[in-house]
Amino acid sequence: MKKNLLYIVLAALGMQFASCAKDEYLNPVPTNSISAETAFDSKDRIEGQVRAIYASIKNAGMYGGRYQIFNDIRGEEFSNDRTNVVTGFDIWNYTPSNSSTNSVLNHWSRAYYVINLANVFIDGMAAKGTNVVGATLSGNFVAEARLLRAMSYYSLLQLYARPYWDGNGAKPGVPLRLKGNTGSGDYALARATVAEVYTQILADLTFAEQNLPLTNASALLNTTRAHRNTAIALKTRVYLSMGKYAEVITEANKIVSAAPPFTATTGVNHALQADYTNIFKAPYTTTESILSMPFASNETPGTQNQLGYYYGPSAFNGGNGEYSLLSTGIVSNAGWLATDRRRSFVQAFGSKTYLTKYSVPSNFIDYAPVIRYAEVLLNLAEARVRSTSSVDAQAILLLNAVRGRSDATTVFTALNFATATALADQIMIERRIELLGEGLRGSDITRLGLPLPAKPGVSAIPNTGQQYIWPISADELLLNPLCKDN
Amino acid sequence: MRKLVSFLACCVLLIGQLHAQTNRTVTGSVTDEKGAPLSGVTVNALGADRKVSATALSDASGNFSIRVTDKARSLQFAYVGLEEQTVSIAGKNSVTVKLVSTSANLSEVVVVGYGTQKKKDITGSIASVKGEALASKPVQSFEQALGGRAAGVQITIPSGVLNSPPVIRIRGTNSISLSSYPLIVIDGIPTFTGDFSSTSAAGNALASINPNDIESVDVAKDAAATAIYGSRAANGVLFITTKKGKAGRTKVSLDSWVGWSQVQRLPSLLDAFQYTDYKNEALKNAGTYSATNQFALMNGPNGNPINTRWYDYVYRNGVQHSNTVSVSGANESTSYYFSGGYTEQQGIIKRNDFKRLSLLMNIDHKAGKYVSMGGKIQYSNEKNLSAVSSGSLGDAFATAGLGRVALITAPNVSPYNNDGTYSYSGALIGVGANKLGQVGFNNPVIQLDQNRANAETDHIIGNLYLQIKPVSWLTLRSTYGLDYVLVDNDQYYSPISGEGFGSNGSVTSNFSKNKRTVFTNTIQFDKIFADKHAVSLLGGVEQQRSTGLGYGLNRITVSDPAFTNIQGGWATPNAAGLSIGENYLYSQFGRLTYTYNKKYTLNGSLRRDGASQLGVNSKYGTFWAASAAWDIAAENFWSSMKLDNVFSNFKIRASYGKVGNIGGLGNFASLSTFGSGLYGGNSTVAFGSAGNNDLTWETSKKTDIGINFGILKDRVNFELTYYNSNTDGLLLFVPQPPSAGLPSTIPKNVGTMYNRGFEFGVNATPIRGKDFTWTSAFNISYNKNMVTSLALGLDQIIASTGGLENPSITKPGYPIGMLFVTQTKGVDPATGRRIFVNGAGKDVYFQHVAPAGQFRFSYADGTVAPTVSSADAVVYRNTNPKFYGGFDNTFRYKGFELNALFTYQFGSYLYYGTNAGLRDQRFWNNSTDVLQRWQKAGDVTAIPKPIFGDNLSNGSSFPLDINVFKGDFVKLRTLTFGYNLPKSLLEKVKISNARFYVAGNNLLILTKYPGPDPEVSSNGNGSSNFGIDRNTVANQRTITVGVNVGF
Repeated sequence: MKKNLLYIVLAALGMQFASCAKDEYLNPVPTNSISAETAFDSKDRIEGQVRAIYASIKNAGMYGGRYQIFNDIRGEEFSNDRTNVVTGFDIWNYTPSNSSTNSVLNHWSRAYYVINLANVFIDGMAAKGTNVVGATLSGNFVAEARLLRAMSYYSLLQLYARPYWDGNGAKPGVPLRLKGNTGSGDYALARATVAEVYTQILADLTFAEQNLPLTNASALLNTTRAHRNTAIALKTRVYLSMGKYAEVITEANKIVSAAPPFTATTGVNHALQADYTNIFKAPYTTTESILSMPFASNETPGTQNQLGYYYGPSAFNGGNGEYSLLSTGIVSNAGWLATDRRRSFVQAFGSKTYLTKYSVPSNFIDYAPVIRYAEVLLNLAEARVRSTSSVDAQAILLLNAVRGRSDATTVFTALNFATATALADQIMIERRIELLGEGLRGSDITRLGLPLPAKPGVSAIPNTGQQYIWPISADELLLNPLCKDN
Repeated sequence: MRKLVSFLACCVLLIGQLHAQTNRTVTGSVTDEKGAPLSGVTVNALGADRKVSATALSDASGNFSIRVTDKARSLQFAYVGLEEQTVSIAGKNSVTVKLVSTSANLSEVVVVGYGTQKKKDITGSIASVKGEALASKPVQSFEQALGGRAAGVQITIPSGVLNSPPVIRIRGTNSISLSSYPLIVIDGIPTFTGDFSSTSAAGNALASINPNDIESVDVAKDAAATAIYGSRAANGVLFITTKKGKAGRTKVSLDSWVGWSQVQRLPSLLDAFQYTDYKNEALKNAGTYSATNQFALMNGPNGNPINTRWYDYVYRNGVQHSNTVSVSGANESTSYYFSGGYTEQQGIIKRNDFKRLSLLMNIDHKAGKYVSMGGKIQYSNEKNLSAVSSGSLGDAFATAGLGRVALITAPNVSPYNNDGTYSYSGALIGVGANKLGQVGFNNPVIQLDQNRANAETDHIIGNLYLQIKPVSWLTLRSTYGLDYVLVDNDQYYSPISGEGFGSNGSVTSNFSKNKRTVFTNTIQFDKIFADKHAVSLLGGVEQQRSTGLGYGLNRITVSDPAFTNIQGGWATPNAAGLSIGENYLYSQFGRLTYTYNKKYTLNGSLRRDGASQLGVNSKYGTFWAASAAWDIAAENFWSSMKLDNVFSNFKIRASYGKVGNIGGLGNFASLSTFGSGLYGGNSTVAFGSAGNNDLTWETSKKTDIGINFGILKDRVNFELTYYNSNTDGLLLFVPQPPSAGLPSTIPKNVGTMYNRGFEFGVNATPIRGKDFTWTSAFNISYNKNMVTSLALGLDQIIASTGGLENPSITKPGYPIGMLFVTQTKGVDPATGRRIFVNGAGKDVYFQHVAPAGQFRFSYADGTVAPTVSSADAVVYRNTNPKFYGGFDNTFRYKGFELNALFTYQFGSYLYYGTNAGLRDQRFWNNSTDVLQRWQKAGDVTAIPKPIFGDNLSNGSSFPLDINVFKGDFVKLRTLTFGYNLPKSLLEKVKISNARFYVAGNNLLILTKYPGPDPEVSSNGNGSSNFGIDRNTVANQRTITVGVNVGF
């Protein structure tokens, strides 16, 4: 009996002792997030990741608002009325420091977060995802990821690096990272040159052009997701920033017909809208909006990132009136007639005038425009003038297309322009009117080597000045010993 | 089974009879230690070979009679719960035996994890506290009463909010990012710890144990004592043993006390008249005083100016009572302990209540000779109730925080309008006759009347065991334990004003469920070879799995103010309190103890743990300890040198080992995961969290060397210990270059620190007379903590308080959690300006409003200086105490007893952030010390010229050195005067004991600390932001009257 008992107990215990750890318990899979191992297991997850890259370039104030605002307030159009560094006071007066949280630190880390998401995605597609969704869809998705990576690098170059004209891109750009990072590692990496980064941006956009679908399934998706013409349109912007006007013309001609009315004849049928104001109201998905960042009540821009909050006064849309329009800015242009449809977005409240392009009250969910067809037309016009140094007739037609849509009474002819420079200047004025508050003025100033303008209480910064570009993120300098400051 | 045994016994007997020529009968009686007869005691006749030759049982009168052969040499008496005793029967036909309860020797037995050891065999560092020291105290959980009882154990009760989990530090703080809280093992089952409430009411998981049900608490400190718990041992282990039935007839005992608590040492504040004048002076100094911008008194309903003492609206004298009934007993096969308890305690803050119903059932049964089994079920229901935040549990800056609101609300306004309605303006309290937009935050009376923030916990701890002892030297044991904590959180904010105003009312109900199961199997060999070699070997396997989930609903915008619960009519539902997680620990362990000739003991422990939270490359770790003890007093040379005349015992012990810490590590901390979101109305999957496949435990290598000795025949016992714990692989969230684009910081095992120190304890009985005895216990601990390295890119860790200010810093070369403040140099007597010392070491004069031609910040010569801020802060003072301990004395004279426990702490500093608020020059009410303000040139004072709106000069905007104070204190923790009714009287009414007592808790605090209590923590158990007192509600002072009766 005693022995039997002993054996039974020993056997039972032996089984328990021999029993291994339960592997499913020891390696639990979280059920409220998706593990890295399974992120490429289905088309839905893969496409979800593509959308996540868009959401990331949109969120936390990148192309969803703050990038546009930073570029606009570096120009001469706006007055900072709140002296709040959280909403760009130091950007406006050209004094951001390496540790300016809401601009220098945040834009740097956010842009690289997008870049890494794209890189992780591109790596994962190569390793697994392409087999799941097939080569065509994989090409589409990777093209979107590369386009968004290009947009991120482009934004970094505009803010943190000397313009391309300075030494033909030989100046330090930003660290160029093309591999996905998922864990700790040695991440010390020096800055690539401006030219190297632009070369990568163009390679990404060219890949996107070749692999994106011609059109997406709906007007909404044609505005919020990239298609072939999105890549081409962005290339016109990128080449213009590099001063490569011939390439701007080549790219633009792919999506701009030879004669008015100018439209894109392949892919999404981009064209100017008859009424300028329709572009900036729901549903925001006209064929003029090549790429915009969508917002909704459950997808808000987040506190102090919203275009409407910055530019609208409380009497207009409950915004904070962070920036009013300077009377010395483009609003003072006599050629911009009161009857111009675009003037309807310049409204006076009290003693100040404000840009009222973004009108949705809290929580300010106007779509944020990234690139519009009007810009492509003006990019082409400017490139034609600057490349030929002549009063280019086609350029005047393009200019008139943009002007005439909002102001039928003003028609430019070659007689209006004594020199090519005069025409180029008029095109720049048109850009300031047409694209006011859409985030292009800062990079227009720097790509042309103009000084950053003087404003009330702020001196001009010459194009050789240290403040002409932002300093590098202090966190980057601390943690990446190979990265040097501007 | 039993039949078989008796059959076998009969056979043996028969065989014995066959061979024996001469039989005889031995008779006698068995009693317990008090002389009461014991029935059912097993009496075995043993031969020279110690084999049982005959068996009998004692009868109801304790008498027995057994027939033995001439080969029988002795009788063995056995009874559950009593020490086994063997008596020689050579030449005797009658014996009288007194069996002593094993529990009487419990103090000699120490719980060591998966078993017990005799104190004299212990090689590790273990402190034991008896349950009676913790029982019948006005506390919610036993650890609150543990302070000062054991060397090396520092207990800080973070605030006066009932049921806040105490901060427990054993030999210093061992971790930066993870928990420094010890492992708590209750009756062999590692249990949940921490605050399980998600509302403003605290919900300490350990409050489920009725302190009156605790037999003992053993605190394991060094590697030798803790290594059997491997990866969870670095912070020490607390073994809690609940009571079991004791041999003898059924014992019923009743413990009841009733108590009265009050708040103490509140700062003295300006009254309405002082406030109005002083704030107007500040407005004038700011140049903004005018008919439309001034403070003004207002008459109340009785026609006199309103002069509100806000303390009266927030604090109260709490009434508390606690009642425990227990029934226990044991016979030869079964012991049992049943207890039921109910306590209701009112806190010093209004509406802060604690109510606990607790039930405990412990049963042990011996089913025959080889098998025993048993288990326990403990159920408790705890209602943790409050109205709103107290501002004490990590929410130091809550605008609703009652501790803070009572301090800063203007005294010249009332919570009511003169018509008796609530005074409010939007979310805030009404401004009365004051011409300013704001004179307080929330109206505390509305919140106390209307709101609620409750957490009701149902807590079940149970276990079952089966133990088989096939032979005397082998024990097989299998235990299955569980621990369920179910918490129902219920929070309501009225739409009238305060927190619920913006959302037009808000109600949140969320439920959380945490479950743990522990399955342990052990095998143990105990054998003494050749009388001199005692070997004990333990082997075991354990699986522990915990799962948790939470869900709930938040609803805002009430349809009708009558609705105050989640089921009522509300417009908007939102998810609340969603959580899910699990973790698992698989372990194999062993322990070998070898004692030679009762003089030399060697001990080795080994544990291999696999933990689910860790990186896939490092799931398993091995931990171990080796130790030795030498009982020198047992050596012959000791007595030959006549040292035994001085030392009645003398033992040296030493240990070294490696143990780990994963306390507080997130369930999925090592994993890279993707989260979800939206883009253009469609779902996204984004790489959201970067993991670390190599993530592993924090490792402490601990050395411990101690001597124990007794003099005067053990009247005085000393214990002196040196320890050194080097911790490496501290888990830090290491930032990566932002351009790497990682979504989160990565947890890495990189930092290092050490804790070194001494512990010294004396236990003495200076007087042991017939009627008068005096027992005394003193302990003191010295600890030095030092952080020796962090990580590349992480040269300091700044920790916040309440998310708003950063007064704490951890930096290599300093102890953890140094205070990090900007320095000042007093007040300029010429101008009354605050003088700051900026980061460059230069004096900067500050005036909140600068007259034309001057600057807000300027150097002594009047030139403009850069703004001084928290960026100018310096690493300032240590928050870790150097010395701490307790001094406990008990005097007994006949039936009277007087006990006093003092606890003390020296060498630490606190940041008294509350003081910054008390001198804030906005509308906030101030302490009366602002009346010493600078007024005219030549005034030498510590209080700058008041300028309305100034929140910099006194530390509200960023922490200043002027609010750092020494935290030294001596507290009279408990003072108890008791009387035991004499036995002669009790016997007449069939009562075995009766004791009445009156006790005071926290009666006296000797300290120079200006705040209410230097022993608080605004950040609770936080490791790197300790030593902060920011708007904390002080601990209560309580008087209790109680009775213990036993039947």
